[in-house]
Amino acid sequence: MQILRLAFNTLLRARHRTWVTIFAMAFAGAIMIFYACLLQGWLSAMERNGVDMEMGEIQIHAPGYRDDPDLYTALPDADAMVRRASTAGFVAAARLRGSGLAAADENSAGVSINGIDPGREKRVTRLYGHVDTGDWLSKKDDKGVVIGYRLARILNVRPGDELVLIGQAADGSMANDLFRVRGVLKSVSQGLDRGGLFMTADAFRDFFVFPKGAHEIVLKRTNRSVTLQEAVNRLQTLFPGLDVQNWRQLQPTLSRLLDLSNVSLVILLMITYAAVGILTLNAMLMGVFERIPEFGVMKALGFSGGRLFALICIETLMQVSIGAALALITGLPISLYFAGHPIDFSMFIRESSTIAGIAFEPLWYCDVTPGSVLMPVLLLYCAALTAIIYPAIKAAMIRPVQAIRHR
Amino acid sequence: MKMIGLLLFFVLTLMVSGPVPAQTADVERARAILRKIDDLWRSTSSTARLKMVVNTRHYTRTLVLDSWSKGNDKSLVRIVAPLKEKGTASLKNGSSLYTYLPKTDRIIRLTSGMMMGSWMGSHFTNDDLVKESRLSDDYNPLITFEGLRDGKEVIDFTLIPKPNAPVVWGKIVTTVRSQDFLPLVSLYYDEDMALARTLYFTDIREMGGRKLPLVLRMVPADKKDEYTELTYETINFGMRLDDSFFSLLQLQRL
Repeated sequence: MQILRLAFNTLLRARHRTWVTIFAMAFAGAIMIFYACLLQGWLSAMERNGVDMEMGEIQIHAPGYRDDPDLYTALPDADAMVRRASTAGFVAAARLRGSGLAAADENSAGVSINGIDPGREKRVTRLYGHVDTGDWLSKKDDKGVVIGYRLARILNVRPGDELVLIGQAADGSMANDLFRVRGVLKSVSQGLDRGGLFMTADAFRDFFVFPKGAHEIVLKRTNRSVTLQEAVNRLQTLFPGLDVQNWRQLQPTLSRLLDLSNVSLVILLMITYAAVGILTLNAMLMGVFERIPEFGVMKALGFSGGRLFALICIETLMQVSIGAALALITGLPISLYFAGHPIDFSMFIRESSTIAGIAFEPLWYCDVTPGSVLMPVLLLYCAALTAIIYPAIKAAMIRPVQAIRHR
Repeated sequence: MKMIGLLLFFVLTLMVSGPVPAQTADVERARAILRKIDDLWRSTSSTARLKMVVNTRHYTRTLVLDSWSKGNDKSLVRIVAPLKEKGTASLKNGSSLYTYLPKTDRIIRLTSGMMMGSWMGSHFTNDDLVKESRLSDDYNPLITFEGLRDGKEVIDFTLIPKPNAPVVWGKIVTTVRSQDFLPLVSLYYDEDMALARTLYFTDIREMGGRKLPLVLRMVPADKKDEYTELTYETINFGMRLDDSFFSLLQLQRL
């Protein structure tokens, strides 16, 4: 109790030094919190755009479909499969895939046609929120299709414009019908941008004379604590003989790229932490070394080495706590603000684009997670305490006469 | 000095009477026969009714087609049956290919990227329709076999694409009967010189005042059990057809 009061008094007495130290730590802490949130936001955006956007976490295909996507290589009981997967801890959606030709006026282009259930798909992937102009698919609008932005440019169409689709139906006849562009997507991935076309599953079945089955089932875990591989294994036993693959197997390059950026961002974070930690360390070191003569006097008055060590630790803890609180008070609101109001760097990149196959938007959101907030605070404590261990031990061991003459 | 004179004499002799002129004559003959084949189903003009059977692992369907052609570069093909596709038509005018779809009431111009796509769901490609008449333009013909094979006198032509010709095949080998130059079989090789598909010409009979194969069967090399068979039910030559008949307007008219 006496030590606490003593520590408090010391801090108050050297008001300038105390505040400089506290502000240094608060500033460092706030920066670290903001920076960690920014990097976290970057990482989650990468993974979200790469995986959740269109691919889903896991996909199931009929054997051989991935090598040779054929209208006839389908999963006949797709609906039952979706239901079974739902009871096994997944959200799932069936997709139909075909290819054809889209034409508008004089322009035409080959397209890959996706028939999806808008309601179900919404629960697995996030394409619905990635519409640039117009609207996402609606169950009520079977003639409305959503297309990739490059395709829209090739065909020179806008939402509301008419589109003719031609393909070969499952019965061999010429599938052809008139559709209307309902929406144009932002950049998702190269293939999808250039030739992706989405329509409702009902419209697809009608167009391709394909009454039953689907070509692909996309799934997402409802429980994130189940690892991807466990989830794949579970699905594989549930659906033996079918191709079950997680996104890392589906897109090994993307997987490696994400891992790599994960590592590089962690390194970046560590460098910043180190720099900021040294700032704190410096302030603490100065504070203790400056007072060595003072410690000498205290020791001469009968203050034991152990108590002196405790005093320095308590002083430091008090300062760090105030600094951390200030860091939270300033850093958290800034991060939260940028979580809602992304940093817009569209002046450097003109529009949404893809980098290495990952959709990339010129908007940088902060992602406030417990980790990105608490890690910097924890690090603040660590840096401060490590910083004072050496000087505190030195002060505790020092001989009074030498200390008083120390300069 | 004498040696050099002798050498010069040899070289000159080779240049004058060497194999080059002989080959040119060969190419000319090959070209002439090829042109004859090209014109077999055409004249200044022709009309025909065809039956097309498309047989794949997944479906078999039969279409009835009406076709009109004029010269080498104009043709119009329209589906007569089945009802679902009745009125669907393809118009070739020069190197452009248009498709009319009655269900949507739209005309689509096929761009170069779609030329290898299936024509009307068959094993023929859009490219076949556009390029068929220009074999002698895009390829250099060579006679690679002439003589008795399987009891028939035949001639083999190997068509090698001209440099920079916009073609998709690595080579085409066509076998014709020596007696009347009627085609028997054509082998299409891809750019890696692997056989891609085979076109058989059978049922040589007289129709429309000409002797010609009435059944054309296309078999893809990778799916031996599939085929598309075109059978001429009627064919007539030499009627009057206006150029305006091969117009987009006509394409839409039922």
